[in-house]
Amino acid sequence: MALLDIKDLTVRYTGRGREIEAVRGVNLSLAPGDTLGLAGESGCGKSTLAMSVLRLLPASARIGGEILLDGEDVNTMKWGRLRAVRWTTAAIVFQGAMHALNPVRRVRDQIAEPIVLHADTPPPPAALRRRVDELLAQVELPAEKGESYPHELSGGQKQRVMIAMALACEPRLVIADEPTTALDVIVQAQVLALLSRLVTEQDIGLIMISHDLAVLAATCRRLAVMYEGRLVEEGESAAVIGRPEHPHTAALAAAFPTVGDPEYRYAPATSSELGLPDPPPPPSGEPLLRTEGLRVTFTGRGRSVTTAVAGVDLEVHAGEIVALVGQSGSGKTTLARTVLGLQRPTAGRVVFDGTPLPTGTRGLRAYRRQVQLVLQDPTSALNPRHSVYESVAEGLRIHKMPGDERARVAAALEAAELRPAEEFMPLLPHQLSGGQRQRVVIAGALALEPRLLVADEPVASLDASVRGEILALLLRLRARLGLAALVITHDLGLAWNIADRVAVMYRGELVEVGPVDEVLRSPTHDYTRSLLAALPTLGTPAEH
Amino acid sequence: MSDILTPTEDALAEAPPPTRGGGALRYVLTKIGGGLVSMALVVVLGFLLFRVLPGDVIQTMFRGRPASPELMAEAEERLGLNKPLFEQFLDYLWRLLHGDLGQSYVFNVPVTDKILERLGPTLLLVGVATLIAVALGLWLGTRSAWRRGSRFDRISTGVALALWSTPTFWLGMLLLAATSGLFPTAGIVYSDTAPDFLSQALDVAHHMVLPTITLVAVIYAQYQLVMRSSLLEEMGADYLTTARAKGLRDDLVRRRHAVPNALLPTVTLVFLHLGFVIAGAVSVETVFSWPGLGLLTYDALRVRDLPLLQGTFVVLAGAVILMNVLADVLYRVLDPRVRAS
Amino acid sequence: MTAPSPRALAWRRRGAAFAAGWKQYASQRAGLVGLGLLVLIVLLAVLAPYISDQQGLDVTKATGGRMEPPSGEFPLGTDRVGRSVLLLTLWGARVSLLVGFVATLLSIAIGTIIGILAAHYGRWVSAGLMRVTDFFLVLPSLVLAIALSTVLERGVGTIILAIGLTSWPSAARLVRAQTLTIEARPYIERSKALGGGHLHVIGKHVLPAVLPLVFVNTTLAVGSAIVAESTLSFLGLGDPDPMRPSWGSMLRSAWLDSAVIAGAWWYLLPPGIAIGIVVLAFTMCGRALEAVLNPRLREG
Repeated sequence: MALLDIKDLTVRYTGRGREIEAVRGVNLSLAPGDTLGLAGESGCGKSTLAMSVLRLLPASARIGGEILLDGEDVNTMKWGRLRAVRWTTAAIVFQGAMHALNPVRRVRDQIAEPIVLHADTPPPPAALRRRVDELLAQVELPAEKGESYPHELSGGQKQRVMIAMALACEPRLVIADEPTTALDVIVQAQVLALLSRLVTEQDIGLIMISHDLAVLAATCRRLAVMYEGRLVEEGESAAVIGRPEHPHTAALAAAFPTVGDPEYRYAPATSSELGLPDPPPPPSGEPLLRTEGLRVTFTGRGRSVTTAVAGVDLEVHAGEIVALVGQSGSGKTTLARTVLGLQRPTAGRVVFDGTPLPTGTRGLRAYRRQVQLVLQDPTSALNPRHSVYESVAEGLRIHKMPGDERARVAAALEAAELRPAEEFMPLLPHQLSGGQRQRVVIAGALALEPRLLVADEPVASLDASVRGEILALLLRLRARLGLAALVITHDLGLAWNIADRVAVMYRGELVEVGPVDEVLRSPTHDYTRSLLAALPTLGTPAEH
Repeated sequence: MSDILTPTEDALAEAPPPTRGGGALRYVLTKIGGGLVSMALVVVLGFLLFRVLPGDVIQTMFRGRPASPELMAEAEERLGLNKPLFEQFLDYLWRLLHGDLGQSYVFNVPVTDKILERLGPTLLLVGVATLIAVALGLWLGTRSAWRRGSRFDRISTGVALALWSTPTFWLGMLLLAATSGLFPTAGIVYSDTAPDFLSQALDVAHHMVLPTITLVAVIYAQYQLVMRSSLLEEMGADYLTTARAKGLRDDLVRRRHAVPNALLPTVTLVFLHLGFVIAGAVSVETVFSWPGLGLLTYDALRVRDLPLLQGTFVVLAGAVILMNVLADVLYRVLDPRVRAS
Repeated sequence: MTAPSPRALAWRRRGAAFAAGWKQYASQRAGLVGLGLLVLIVLLAVLAPYISDQQGLDVTKATGGRMEPPSGEFPLGTDRVGRSVLLLTLWGARVSLLVGFVATLLSIAIGTIIGILAAHYGRWVSAGLMRVTDFFLVLPSLVLAIALSTVLERGVGTIILAIGLTSWPSAARLVRAQTLTIEARPYIERSKALGGGHLHVIGKHVLPAVLPLVFVNTTLAVGSAIVAESTLSFLGLGDPDPMRPSWGSMLRSAWLDSAVIAGAWWYLLPPGIAIGIVVLAFTMCGRALEAVLNPRLREG
């Protein structure tokens, strides 16, 4: 008998006269000890599906079909029985780096809570203590960490605690909902390896949910892809990734390119009509942007000094795309802010087009026409009260650019491929899709006719299918306008996709700089190597 | 793999969350330091308000009252008003450090003595009323948040809002009128009550009923509304889903997880709004002639006894600041997150 | 055909947003009731000189007897000197509402300016301003207001000043918190990267986002200001002129004249109920507005 058998599941959210169909007739089955990855973009219904297994959906959800957990339908269970099944038969690993742990209770108590709750007779304190220590040991955390509060733990540690908690009652099914989304590459690899090892050792069935096909393929035997509430593809991981049948699966797969595979080099552009961009122009004498021994330190409270950028020499030539790769906390965003003049360097200087970065208000304003910023999350990068027109015209008005404002706005929107421009002008951000919003942000930058774009994780918050379009736009802008770009990212695949050169940043320093093909194919620095090794690859979760 | 991954995860891949050794003492000292600065501001403000702002202090004190020039000159002499302002300030500061708040003009006793005499009744009234109001407010707030939109929620929120909108003194007058004869209308104890402890205590309790009800009615609403909204805020939190997924009953989810988190902002507000309680106490004590600091304030302002008013101002403001320092320290004990940042 | 100018479009959009907001407001019964009550009371207060005779407030020309119960001539009875309580209540609305509005405007203006400055300019400015704000926040405002109105000349101006100068800190905190939330949004970073200076950021992004909250807060604060006025007047710090009664000073007279013991409910109830209704009406309006304008619901 299957451990979990979902038959024709539908979930509808009702409220305020509107009905939203989140899940539309899904059939799924999982054998004991088997692993299944559930992929899809945000809003495709995958999390709803996961929550419905333990009937954790809000009261506004109407559920149809059957969810057989060990042969028993969850939808028709009495509350008492349902509570008994929760966590003992199936447990969930939530995205623990976020808010899934109670902030004011010790981690140990939170792990112990379900053990006490589901025991027939409350275990004696000593035994309970031993059991929690054992669980912590399983997730490779020292027993002392049990006395911590969630905020005292790092993201990876919190995720380990979530896993320990899920295993507390020895469930037969674990559902992991985006378990590594907020984590850095290396930590992600560690957590995935741990999760894989534990489910294999303890013969637990695993359903893992993610938007990241590569992560799923690395951990799960089978893959299922959801799109608009339906399962559009299901099969062995290798087959789904290697020969996607549904176009949506193909888009998802393309978003996580195989680093080192020439097929994915400049892929966003090669798949469009423009073809391969011109080879990067040879570095000609004076670079467009140069940082010399740049240092940025922050003085925190209590006189503690943090060095975010520790002596960086970086060059960006005209018409070149440079990827600045590093994990969160590596100082890459601070570096970008310093280049833009939003952060004052502690030492060293930024030289643009042969002139050092001005320090006065007026000089900085003039400089900012030349160098423009594209932010990570276009949703919050646009003032929700300003129309597309106003957002794009904002820079023009600040700089009192000559000429017809309307014509300039239209031209910028055209350049960002929002056509027809006139139709987009009166819209408000919430009326646009994520990709369109990012184009508006780019148009706002282009309106000032800059020579360098600084893009901070430009596609990190976009859905996979939109990612390619935005990257292609950046490549085309370079080809058409000769626009240089400094792209900041944690994603090596992105660098492989569009960059000419890559700079790897680690603890405030550039540890390796060079052409993408060289650095990512034959890295010389240990850190670059470990970053590459941590990339999830098919069927072999990264181990260390 | 390369040996770069061998150090612990925190050291390499992630910046460890900020932790600071010996933070507890520093935290407490910072808060006490802040409190001291506020106290200093109160002292300066007390001087500015009552010695500088009136322009002519003697004129202000005798405004609307017949007074002979000799009387006014004598008062000026006694208050030391004929000295330069800066000297007056130093004098005031020096006396304050020795616990001397000056001489009450009307009662003709040291202000400090008068305040000490009235401190007890106020502490009793405000203390009892605050305890009841907090208990009532938290309970009602929790219930109405958990059953949001229910009849209980709508009625209890409505009643709380209505009582909160009512002037304290008017409520007290209405209570007096409605219960005429059942409870004493003024004072803290009848003069003819037997001197043994039990009789005295019972009589005080009898006198306390109406003032306490009035004060509670006016202040509990804040606690209820804050508790309600802060619990509603917590109700969407992910860790509650985690708790439900573990198989916890709804009431356990609420008691163990939601309420402790929602309590934190409420505790802060309880203390932050102590000034509001003091305001209520001034009105209540005036209406019920409860011989506390509030009534003393009223008496002082009625006859423009500026030294006495200055004394009550400094003491009441100082008390609130002291309570807030205590609240900050308490908050640190309650919320583990404050301990780290 | 020429496309409408972006400015015209922006105004049209604002008009549409206002209409949608009004529709949402109108769907809340409590908000409508509150608004209706307010309009009625404000109208009565404004029209008082036209629908009644101010001479009736003159103590020397009072026609009624001492604390008469309600009758045909005096629907709400008379006070100790024989003036009509109804007339007093009507004229009392003028002073109470005036003090409520002006004191609130004063306190909100101070609070908004300090709140935005404290949030926008970091470090020293912020630390200093917040230190002062926190100090005034914990300070018992009534005690401070009592002190202020004792040492200054008695009158409406003093009361307004005393309330306005003591009630701004909560507005400042609220505005500061909201400004900090807005300033943490990436579109502020984008605006700075586009070259926008302090004035541009505050004027184009922060103020428009903070103003709805300020508006809601104003509505809610008027009620508190009216209660504060009544308390100060009750304690004898109000305008001593009998021709300018307020609800608070009426209650003071009632108390001094032992209306409680005399059982003169008609003297006691009208001003108190009037205060309650006005405060409740403002609260209802404020909460309804909050539901419409709450930035969390709209931008979240």
